[in-house]
Amino acid sequence: MKANHFMRFFLILFITYPLFFLANPQAVLAQEDSFLEGQVFEVATNNPLPGANVYWENQPQKGVVTDLDGNFRIPRIELPSKLIVSYIGFEESIRVINQKDHNKPLRFFLQESQMALEEVIIRDRRPDENVKSLDMGKSVVAIETIKNIPALFGEVDLLRSLQLLPGVQTAGEGTTGLFVRGGSADQNLIQIDGAPVYNPSHFFGFFSVFNPDALSGVEFYKGNIPSNFGGRISSVIDISLKEGNYEKVRGEGGIGTISSRLTVDGPLFSENSSFVVSGRRTYADMFLRLSSNPEINSNDLYFYDLSGKFTFKLGEKDKLSVSSYYGSDFLGLSSQFGLGWNNWVTSITWNRNISERLFFDLNAYHSAYQYNVNFDDPDNGFKWGNRLSESGVKAEWNFNVTENTLINWGVHSQLYNFAPISLDPAPGSAIEPIATNPRNGMQNNVFIGAATDVTDRLRVDAGLRWAIFQLHGRGVDYIYAEGEPSPDAEITDSLVFRPFQRIKGFNGLEPRLSFRYLIQDDLSIKASYNRNFQYLQVASSSSAGLPIDRWILAGTYVPPIRGDQVSVGVFKNLEGNKWEVSGEVYYKDIKNIIDLRQGANILFTDNVESEILTGNGYAYGTEFLLRKNTGRTTGWLSYTYSRTWRQIDGISFDQWYNPRFDRPHDLTLVLNHEFNKRWSAGLTFVYTTGQAVTFPVGSYEVDNQRLPLYSGVRNDDRFPDYHRMDASVTWKNVDKGRKWKGSWNFSVYNLYGRKNPFAYQFTEIYNDQINFTPTQTDVIESRRPGVVMTYLFTFLPSVTYNFNF
Amino acid sequence: MKYIYFLLITLTFFSCQEEVVLDLRQTSQIPVIEGIWTNSNGLNQVHVSYSKNYYSEEQNQVINDAEVFIINQRNGQRVSFVFNEQIQSYLPFNNRLGTVGESYELHVIIDDKEYISIGKMLPPPTLDSLTFKYNEDRVFREAGYYVTLYGKIPFVEENNYRLKIIRNDTLLNRRSDYLLFDDTFGTSILERGFELGGFPFQEGDRVRLELYRLNDDAYNYLSQLVSLLFNDGGLFSPPPQNPISNIKPVDGVGEVLGYFMVSPFISATINITEDDSD
Repeated sequence: MKANHFMRFFLILFITYPLFFLANPQAVLAQEDSFLEGQVFEVATNNPLPGANVYWENQPQKGVVTDLDGNFRIPRIELPSKLIVSYIGFEESIRVINQKDHNKPLRFFLQESQMALEEVIIRDRRPDENVKSLDMGKSVVAIETIKNIPALFGEVDLLRSLQLLPGVQTAGEGTTGLFVRGGSADQNLIQIDGAPVYNPSHFFGFFSVFNPDALSGVEFYKGNIPSNFGGRISSVIDISLKEGNYEKVRGEGGIGTISSRLTVDGPLFSENSSFVVSGRRTYADMFLRLSSNPEINSNDLYFYDLSGKFTFKLGEKDKLSVSSYYGSDFLGLSSQFGLGWNNWVTSITWNRNISERLFFDLNAYHSAYQYNVNFDDPDNGFKWGNRLSESGVKAEWNFNVTENTLINWGVHSQLYNFAPISLDPAPGSAIEPIATNPRNGMQNNVFIGAATDVTDRLRVDAGLRWAIFQLHGRGVDYIYAEGEPSPDAEITDSLVFRPFQRIKGFNGLEPRLSFRYLIQDDLSIKASYNRNFQYLQVASSSSAGLPIDRWILAGTYVPPIRGDQVSVGVFKNLEGNKWEVSGEVYYKDIKNIIDLRQGANILFTDNVESEILTGNGYAYGTEFLLRKNTGRTTGWLSYTYSRTWRQIDGISFDQWYNPRFDRPHDLTLVLNHEFNKRWSAGLTFVYTTGQAVTFPVGSYEVDNQRLPLYSGVRNDDRFPDYHRMDASVTWKNVDKGRKWKGSWNFSVYNLYGRKNPFAYQFTEIYNDQINFTPTQTDVIESRRPGVVMTYLFTFLPSVTYNFNF
Repeated sequence: MKYIYFLLITLTFFSCQEEVVLDLRQTSQIPVIEGIWTNSNGLNQVHVSYSKNYYSEEQNQVINDAEVFIINQRNGQRVSFVFNEQIQSYLPFNNRLGTVGESYELHVIIDDKEYISIGKMLPPPTLDSLTFKYNEDRVFREAGYYVTLYGKIPFVEENNYRLKIIRNDTLLNRRSDYLLFDDTFGTSILERGFELGGFPFQEGDRVRLELYRLNDDAYNYLSQLVSLLFNDGGLFSPPPQNPISNIKPVDGVGEVLGYFMVSPFISATINITEDDSD
């Protein structure tokens, strides 16, 4: 019955609104005269200023906020009246609006406040937004906030900063993989300007691929994912590359402990177009070359990334932007061995304001990821590589029906191409070449969503996404005896498919529904339900991603993952939005997640399905957040209690078990303080329950080897609790009108040198030396069982010089 | 994968290690059976023991009163094993051997609890010759004499092989000394010449190679054993698990560790002398 009510509401919402406006067009037109419209700019750059508050004098509660293009639209009151435009860090602009101004386009230019250095922006959003919006489990993180967080090696890192938000776990020390509300790392859709990034990490996951100087912002959805996003069940991390300014050429960058970066932006050809290019490179290999030891100076170890965005205003209503990101890693040994991987992501976006209420966005993208392993050896050499790509087109319409009613709809087509894994031995090698078959897929999605105020206090947002996925040729599907793939099952036949010939298809409806009830102006409760399907995932049994991880598409033997999440939250603001308090509880149900059979070898097999085990999972948790938004001291304190479970036949006696990232208690404190215009400081403290792991319960000997004995129950033990404090101090050169402005950042990772375990190895210790690995001729005087703990990064200081001009 | 492990070691650039003592849970003793059944004298034996606490430095508790025998599945012929105090293992009565092409059942009865495993003695590949040559220092390879193995694998399935290397009468048995290969990279490896890349020898060394052809389950057991030896418990390693044994309790209840290997045996020997180098 509940489902019927829900569907009825949903149908009514979507059917009645378009009919209402078709049947009663003057309802829209009648309101035209009752609004005043304009645009807000930053005076220094002439860039539109999103998120500025616009309100009539003495009526701040009835104010509005400028959109991404700086536009606002505010209900008119009796004129003349004073209209106020304000934004944190900028001087307030007050203008008297007369009757004659009513039909003119209003333009406001805000000047950066002289006191701006004393403020730190936590979030670019309007007051009370967290209470009044329908957003649940959503964080809008300002890049300035991320830059103020003390960083490992001084490398400001977007994904590592997101790990400080409630509900986000890490797999382990230093890694950037995100485990959101019980989901795996491959269940996050990470995209730049609408294009997905398949491997968002450098250096085996210790750094993320995003250069903070190149970014304008990030929106992180972990609860109610809007219907215009889909394809991953746990979260969406929607990252926007910065748009260049239209006034003059500017630059910013930094020289850090392990890398340097530079970003330049400015007008391109005319005042209607702009560019921004950004680059970053590490220089560990340059230090290696200084060594006189040829065994050291012939090695390579670096990563770099380049990004650019070109924006063209094609008139009053149209904007076109082209952006591209390329990031690459390389590890080379003695010019003979090389491991490299790279992402190349390109997108083109066309924004058109069809009318004052109707907006259209068209986004086309191509994202490719590849790795290559090259071993140059006449006897055992080989070249091994793989490439996967996704191309897509997404069209979306947003219609502001009334001030409080929004509808959006669109279509999204995706084409997946997972190329064969190839291994080509050197001509003299004894091994034979390998090439798997390709996997290809197409996914078409349609989506629609609407949000409206049902009453003054109740706001409802409903959305529906329908994804149709098809695995198609060129490719090969195998038929197994008795229908079920397994390593022992005989392959009775193989079916070869032509390009675009259907192999297997799936489709699923993905409803979204959320409510907000405003108890008071600064207190609300919210609830949401979300369903998502995911048609591709990583086949891996380790917790951290590797460059050679194998992505697989849903198909004949691997069904898509289905994720359902319900969440309820209470949101409260205090002292005029100075403080925000929120609490959310959630429950997530996951179907058809995969793991690997014991001893599975999937790197080169064409029968991945025979190495895969499928099962289910669930997660639940409660998250609390206390955030201070303004003043000299800003930051947040969060606490999460969460659990996550998996049940996969063939693992842990078919019983429920915790994945490694199940870490029930998670406490985070992030503080920033501005002492004066020159000095500021940041402090971060994290505490989490130790990772769920498997320790031995005994030992035994087989084949002259001493082996640890495991109980068979997976992850029934725990690492010790993890805690760490980081701190940073920033000194800024006070602006005295000079063009070049610099600042120094001194940071320390793991301030009190806590030895948080990265790994425990259960091994034999020879000659009482934990790192002694006997060669064939070494004398072994003693051997005994032991446990060797590896830990990373104790008291790691770093310094970075940042500048802009 | 060996290369990947090597690469991951580079991650320890900023890492430190120290020995710690963890409070580990303990389990009751579990029987461990290791059976080797070949067509060669002196190799066939069954070792039966119990597991022990992780930190225990005592010798494994050997079970010397088990009933051990092997049955030929085709003709029902039974080979009894007798406990040998000297080597603390069970040896076949009258030094009986296996025969290529036959399938065998291993039975071990410990305190009225019977365990069983089955294996088939597959035909061996051809091992023609061994050569060696001196190689200079290269990536992943020290300078030294390297042995190349020539032969032929004429089989299209059940290609699971283990090479044991005996240097001057000492079996190389570090975790990095395991040499297991299947047909992932084809079966022409012996015909083209299989250089034992990870094993440098010195002049004067006497090198004996033993080649075994294993059943799938025994090969998988050893592969998982090696993976476990290399498992560092970190994020990049899969959750550690006991290798899946091919020995089962007859009544299906309880646990047993170890494996039963049925294999043909072939070997070849070469002396590393400068005069004979390729």
